[in-house]
Amino acid sequence: MLLALLVAAASAWVPARWSSTDPQSLELLAGTPVNCLLLERVSRDFAAAAAARDIAVLRLVRPGEDPAGAVREAREAGVSGLVLEGAFAEDAVAPFRSAARQANWTVVELPPRARLRWNADASILGTYEGLWPGIRALEGDAARAAPTGGPWIETNTGFLRYVRASTDAAVWIAIKPPSGAPLSVQRYLHAIADAAIAGARWVVSLDPDFDRRLHARDPKALAAWARIAAHLKFYEDHAEWRQWKPAGRLALIQDESSGALLSGGILDMIAVKHAPVRPVPKARLSAEALQGARLAVNVDPSALTDSDKEILRSFTRGGGTLLSGPPDWKFPPPQEGRITLEDKDVERLNDIWREVNSLVGRRNLGARLFNVSGMVSNLLVSPDGKQILLHLANYTDYPAENITVHVAASCSGARLLTPEEPPRPLAPYPIEEGVAVEIERIATSSALLLDCKP
Amino acid sequence: MTRRELLGLFAGAALGPAAQPPAAPVAIARVAGYDAGLEDAMARLFDQLGGLGRLVKSKTVTIKLNLTGSPALRFEGRPLGATHYVHPRVVGAVVRAMGQAGARRIRLVESCWASGGPMEEFLLDSGWPVRALANAAPGVEFENTNNRGRWRRYARLKVGPGAWIYPAYDLNVAYEETDVFVSLAKLKNHETCGVTLSLKNCFGITPASVYGDDAGRHEPNENPTKGRADVFHFGKRPPSRSAPQELDPASSRDPGYRVPRITAELVAARPVHLAVIDGIQTVTGGEGPWIRGLKFVEPGLLIAGLNPVCTDAVAMAVMGYDPQASRGVPPFRNCDNTLKLAEALGVGTTDLRRIEVRGLAIEQARFPFPT
Repeated sequence: MLLALLVAAASAWVPARWSSTDPQSLELLAGTPVNCLLLERVSRDFAAAAAARDIAVLRLVRPGEDPAGAVREAREAGVSGLVLEGAFAEDAVAPFRSAARQANWTVVELPPRARLRWNADASILGTYEGLWPGIRALEGDAARAAPTGGPWIETNTGFLRYVRASTDAAVWIAIKPPSGAPLSVQRYLHAIADAAIAGARWVVSLDPDFDRRLHARDPKALAAWARIAAHLKFYEDHAEWRQWKPAGRLALIQDESSGALLSGGILDMIAVKHAPVRPVPKARLSAEALQGARLAVNVDPSALTDSDKEILRSFTRGGGTLLSGPPDWKFPPPQEGRITLEDKDVERLNDIWREVNSLVGRRNLGARLFNVSGMVSNLLVSPDGKQILLHLANYTDYPAENITVHVAASCSGARLLTPEEPPRPLAPYPIEEGVAVEIERIATSSALLLDCKP
Repeated sequence: MTRRELLGLFAGAALGPAAQPPAAPVAIARVAGYDAGLEDAMARLFDQLGGLGRLVKSKTVTIKLNLTGSPALRFEGRPLGATHYVHPRVVGAVVRAMGQAGARRIRLVESCWASGGPMEEFLLDSGWPVRALANAAPGVEFENTNNRGRWRRYARLKVGPGAWIYPAYDLNVAYEETDVFVSLAKLKNHETCGVTLSLKNCFGITPASVYGDDAGRHEPNENPTKGRADVFHFGKRPPSRSAPQELDPASSRDPGYRVPRITAELVAARPVHLAVIDGIQTVTGGEGPWIRGLKFVEPGLLIAGLNPVCTDAVAMAVMGYDPQASRGVPPFRNCDNTLKLAEALGVGTTDLRRIEVRGLAIEQARFPFPT
């Protein structure tokens, strides 16, 4: 237990699934920010060696596993905690929580999205359910028959941004690589960025082939691992960004019953349009949450309390524009195993999407981005309001080039921060709505940091 | 001769049986890429055509760019200008040459796909260096002609005798208020028309506000969000009633019949004074990434001429096609030959024997496209 106390606070854990219990495998973590390992089986030697490196070891437990046996093994090994991954029945979780209290362990629960542990007094909130980030492959001729549209991005950012706005806990998404052919390193970098730009952490998980080659010290696997580590480090070196607030003048009020736990919903639709949007969980709706917003979209007006309605009335009286979803419109309740909209829901979403699209139009709600198809962005502002951060993640297999950003603010300096590259100063130039910045190239992900007048 | 007299002359120039359509020289240059040597090659090309000065000095020049489809659609992740859009460096070279030749105003135009917004924003979405283009010469302007834009009316340009589909077209006034009209196109195939060259590029001068799938029934929709397939390709619906309607609504609805004719009519209504074709890098097999079987190629060629039919005829020969081929013969497998239709309207000749080729010979430039 003493060893376990040496490791970093749970909220600062940078997690990875780990397949080896050989203490020498920990050498692979040297120079990486990974400081928390999730293992199916643990040993005392391994846990001790990990603790000596300030690395927390968590024992993974899945539904159906014998609680007594799992707890005994964890206790004998001297782990830092347990990870309960899967759809546990409530009474099945209790023995683990009880054991954890006695052993002073941290328990990380990774349930389905529909059963997120909102009320748990935990430092980490997570799920194992998510999309593997990337561009969705088009199927058949019909999808490519017209000169319209852009690539469809599979992303968890809408869901994660909602969760991030709903909790003060660290957020983990523990998705695994899709089975089948081994992935390119680029796909892992997409997974890192997809979580990080939303203020969350991806639980690093390698496909079996990569994992095997890495532990065999295959040079190509080591090189790919070094890149993964560099991208993880980039976001950990700027951990303060996770505390920065979403910026922009469009607020989206929603909750779990109005599709907030699904991917491909209204938040993702707006984000793909690169209109800066602030997710406002209904439970956290307040005048302060809407401060600075000019437009607000309320997805489910029937769920508003009298107090909520008064807040929105004040918002509109103050000059804000409010768009409400159709009164009879209800999303199906969140369900285990379902994390995207069904076709009929997408059809219904189109009703509100058309309105939002028309409302947003060409207005600059904080930033407008050009030549960013295949990318997702997230606009944040520092606590003192003096810095604006635009996260940019490129989900294509090709570098994005010649990107232009129009920022609706008065900014004097700009830097492009990119994993594996030195910071690059950029020269903002004035335009009617604020300043414009031109970015030459984004391979996988970057962050545009602007010094602005609050 | 004034600009309007010239327009009138061309518009009324449908040929009698004995008249020969005009011929004009075409120049071909080999260019390795879009970096070094491009501007020099462009300058040589224009010199071979007699120089730009006499064409553009103190004039308003309108350059129709070839920007096909949504900028969000890339082929193999390559820049749009390397595949199915005209390359921005070619545009920059043309603009600079025009500026050096004394053009008073250079207006870059396109009916931007599914958009009524500013053309500058469409170009930014395409990854184009808008500021650099704006500064490439004095008096550079951008205009999205997919709607009325900044003008208070539409210009009605008549096709003249010989029209098949529409007697006249309602267009953005930029196409009327100009002294010189340039078609700056890409060397590529086209699914419906066989080839996209300087003639087919002019299909895109039509505003979707009037001819789009979501055009207003009676009046134009100034915020178009769709293409023009229902009106032009398939004739499923008429254009806005404010515009001239079809001459024969019972005529064929086959896109291979309609689109080549509409293209030829547009070029007759809005004559092209200079055709420039970017064949440095391009694609074969279709006009954009939504067509299956596309292939990226590098012919390394620039082609320019003072008559769009002659220029396209030479370009087709360079591509390994017969510019006088009939329907059923590649590349016109399922369509009529736009060049021959434009020739019938008196725009220019497709007869290679009457076209003087300067610079590189056709045989030297040959880069076979798929048959």
